[in-house]
Amino acid sequence: MKLTEKKTETPITAVELADPAPEYLGAMDASREFSVLNLYRQDFAAKEIENEAFYLDLNLFPVIDKMTMPWGKAVRKLYMFLPKTPEETAFRRGVNADVNKEPVYRALLTLMERLAHVREMREEKEKTSNRLQRAVWKLREAGAYCSAYEELAEALSRVELVSDGMKEFLRSLTEILTDGGFRQMKKETEELLSEIHGIRFVVTYEKDRVSVEPVDGQTAAEGEASYEEWLARFDGGAGAGMPNPFVTDSTLTELEAACLEMLKSKKPEFFRALQVAADHETEYERPVLARFEREIPFYLAFRGFRMEMERAGFAFATPTADEGKPMEARGLYDVALALMSYPEGRPVISNDFYYGEGERFFVLTGPNQGGKTTFARSLGQLVFFAMMGLDVPAKSANVPFFAGIQTHFSVEESVETGRGKLMEELVRLQPMMEDWRKGSFVVINELFTTAANYDAQIMGKRVLAHFLSLGCKGIYVTHLTELADESEGIVSLRAMLDEHGVQTFEIRRGSAEDTACAANQVNKYRLTYEQLKERL
Amino acid sequence: MKVCLLYENRERAENEPYYDTKSIIQDLGLPVLFSAASKELTYENGELKQVEAADLFVSETFRNVMMTPLLTAEEIAFRQEVAKDFLAAPKFARELYRISTETVTKWNELGRGVRDRIRQGNPVMRLTTEIRVLRLFTDSLSEIRALLKKQENLTSRGLQAFRKEFFEAFSEELEKDVRKVLEDTSFYMAGLDTKKEEVQNTVVKPRIVFECGLEDGLKFSSVKLLAVGSEDVKYIRPGSAGDKLRKFMSAMTKDGVSTTEDGRLREDTQKLHLAVVSYLMKRQKGWMDGFQTFFDQLRLQSAFYLGTVQLTEHMERLKLGWCLPKVCDRRDLSFTDLKELSMALAQRVDVIGNTCELRGKDVLIVTGANQGGKSTFLRSVSLAQLMLQSGLPVAAKAFESGIFPRIFVHFTRREDSAMNSGRLDEELQRMNGIVEHIGDGSLVILNESFATTTEKDGSVIAYDIIRALSEAGVRILTVTHLLSFAKRVYEETKDAPDSPVEFFSAERLADGTRTFHMIRSEPELTSFGLDLYDAVVGKQGKA
Repeated sequence: MKLTEKKTETPITAVELADPAPEYLGAMDASREFSVLNLYRQDFAAKEIENEAFYLDLNLFPVIDKMTMPWGKAVRKLYMFLPKTPEETAFRRGVNADVNKEPVYRALLTLMERLAHVREMREEKEKTSNRLQRAVWKLREAGAYCSAYEELAEALSRVELVSDGMKEFLRSLTEILTDGGFRQMKKETEELLSEIHGIRFVVTYEKDRVSVEPVDGQTAAEGEASYEEWLARFDGGAGAGMPNPFVTDSTLTELEAACLEMLKSKKPEFFRALQVAADHETEYERPVLARFEREIPFYLAFRGFRMEMERAGFAFATPTADEGKPMEARGLYDVALALMSYPEGRPVISNDFYYGEGERFFVLTGPNQGGKTTFARSLGQLVFFAMMGLDVPAKSANVPFFAGIQTHFSVEESVETGRGKLMEELVRLQPMMEDWRKGSFVVINELFTTAANYDAQIMGKRVLAHFLSLGCKGIYVTHLTELADESEGIVSLRAMLDEHGVQTFEIRRGSAEDTACAANQVNKYRLTYEQLKERL
Repeated sequence: MKVCLLYENRERAENEPYYDTKSIIQDLGLPVLFSAASKELTYENGELKQVEAADLFVSETFRNVMMTPLLTAEEIAFRQEVAKDFLAAPKFARELYRISTETVTKWNELGRGVRDRIRQGNPVMRLTTEIRVLRLFTDSLSEIRALLKKQENLTSRGLQAFRKEFFEAFSEELEKDVRKVLEDTSFYMAGLDTKKEEVQNTVVKPRIVFECGLEDGLKFSSVKLLAVGSEDVKYIRPGSAGDKLRKFMSAMTKDGVSTTEDGRLREDTQKLHLAVVSYLMKRQKGWMDGFQTFFDQLRLQSAFYLGTVQLTEHMERLKLGWCLPKVCDRRDLSFTDLKELSMALAQRVDVIGNTCELRGKDVLIVTGANQGGKSTFLRSVSLAQLMLQSGLPVAAKAFESGIFPRIFVHFTRREDSAMNSGRLDEELQRMNGIVEHIGDGSLVILNESFATTTEKDGSVIAYDIIRALSEAGVRILTVTHLLSFAKRVYEETKDAPDSPVEFFSAERLADGTRTFHMIRSEPELTSFGLDLYDAVVGKQGKA
């Protein structure tokens, strides 16, 4: 039922999945600016989400939502595209390694805070219709923008960056900061703001008229004893300090604007400078920086998530991508399950695995509730995070490059389509098996459970053979022990039981045997005849 | 500013009220006393004109104060001194209570207590309320100062300190300054509580001068007030010839901008008014905070003394003699012509008084004829004890007793006389409650206790309990029918030279007449119930 509900959120219909191969992203788009996310500078922001089934099947949505929640939808979208070449994955892995350095991470977080503040100022600016105030605000905004990036450059220059991505970014940033426009802008801003702070004047409001007189030095207007000081007799000065009467509006009130107008004729030089600044509507944003601001949260979101999970006791490792070594992982766990379990204090099982020489497909059998699906998912997640260029939920891992991730999990019968389950399964299976998917990582969970045992065996074997022929690696979870017959490229894995027949959630190599597994569950929940007699 | 008229340097008791005050109030008939204290008697040409309706606040306050004992002779003396001052100037007490009550009432009407709700509401309403509260404070405090100035003969420490502190806390100079602030801000209230423009053909216009700077957004910052004032200006009707002339003049003036022509500018000046006046009101909090609890405390404490004055007036009306009682050793007790006040007040008559002198006694056992005045006697002593311990005058020519911070009453309840086995249980349960709370300076008053079982059992229970209590240093006053208990105690103590036990009986003359006086006497074997039976039933039967 749950699966059906989720499915409606990200509808994956057979028609969509039957689309032809997506455009190949591994070509440089030289017309675009440098990106820390995409080696080929193509912009994901402009692309349609590919809607791949594996996000749902591998339970990636809760994980991605959790990671990107503080950063917003645009960052979430960046997680919806897998790199298409090993070079791109490697490029990202480099950037991720730099972001993992504490000073870099801190500096980037600070930058994001500063930029959020700049954005607030920008929104505020839109509220005012007063040209002078708008000009001042724009200067303030530009000043904050400059300082934010200056600070970042300063912080990054103190760290030894290893990645091509971050090195290239720092080079562009330094270039921008040293160009004349940026510097001039900053200097002007500081000068003008300091001049604004130096102005003092007396406002007189009487007989329904307001007038203004500038104050030079620190003496108040002549002949006026300070009411403020007189008030100290009531509270000894404890409540001194009158707030600006117009503080509730961030924009200039009519009266404040009128006073500024009057002040204009009395301090012409200052207002001329302000006017000049107002007339120069300089664009302070730079496209490279804007793109960086959009994309760097991809890494920050992951790093924040990783730190939270590590605090809860879950390991993350930077994977290697050594094609010459077997694909393997130690201490691999289902990160989505971990995310749900740790607040409730439930333990999460981890497993080790490897694909030996010539081994291509795991066929996983074993008792119900023995951790089969969880293991299959964790394998898929491993490939996902590794390909994304991020760290993986394991103690260590070596993951070669895959062209994509294909998953097929059994779902409830679709009410919407009205198709039978077998039909449903086949419709979803068909696009996975197209030729252009070759070299993918494949996760199949319980295929053909409604078909007759004999038919299911035949179909299962044909599916396996097909993926093997496409050069895919993967895992096939099934009840059909016959599929686990050792043959070319196939490894049999079993979910293990302990000496009392209770699930250990461990996954080990071993031949499949047909065991009654339901009795264990009954025992575990103390629901045997004797137990019930005792309990009742 | 503290009031400190009930306690020296304190507004309220630091000790707990008596245990089970409900029983004390009920068993000693105190409600009639609280009620008398809350009713003013008005006289005309020396004749009683009217008994005013009860003031519930006074009666409630009187009860609360009376139910919390004073603990030392000094505390009692302090309160008696203040009471004496007020008894010499009843009008002073009445005025203090009136002013504080009116202030609290008006303050409540202005929305005190719902301040939080108002705080979220309309800021203009909130501010006008603040101004009205400031005016109320100033006027009330001014009135109290005038009242205090008239009192030249205050001798009590309490009232002298109160007057001195008040003159300092609300000096004439402070009042002058506050009234200047009220005058300076009068423009804010001008249209709200007077129709000046219509009546006097003038309007009040503000004059506000302040120095300020600019912050990053070019908005005003670090504002410093230089002047605030209100000026009467001739009222010009909009649209009149005068108005047109004014507008013309305004347009001709180069310096400054008129704030009346533009709607948004006018709105901003309203904001300025609000901000400046709010700020001035905020600064008043410096001294006003010192008076936040003052009016409530003054109302409460003057209510007690007003009650004292009125209760004394009631005693005088009934021609009961009264005196301010004295404190002596805990083992002594002496009084002359002590009246049972609640009965006198209830029946509005003078009653028979008792005289007694005990020295070095811990236990007083009263036996004797029914309807002989035993319980009345017990109540009169208990009542006087409570009044002594609240600093009140008592209905006696003289009264002297020790201080007992823990007073317990254990009366047989007439109202639940429907006999059942649960009654002894209930009695014992109450006794258990008392025993749990016994401590230093305890006085236990027993009236016909343990009469709900057989004489024999009751006597044993009473004997054991009273013996144990007495050995624990508890003073006991008891009225009892349990003669075997009384006899036993009598036999055991009669030959001891310094016996701590005293026996009283209701006086009965040889002809059987009851005098309702208590006299020292050996416990009598019969409580003369037969006399009474004869008096009520027997004679009827014979007739």
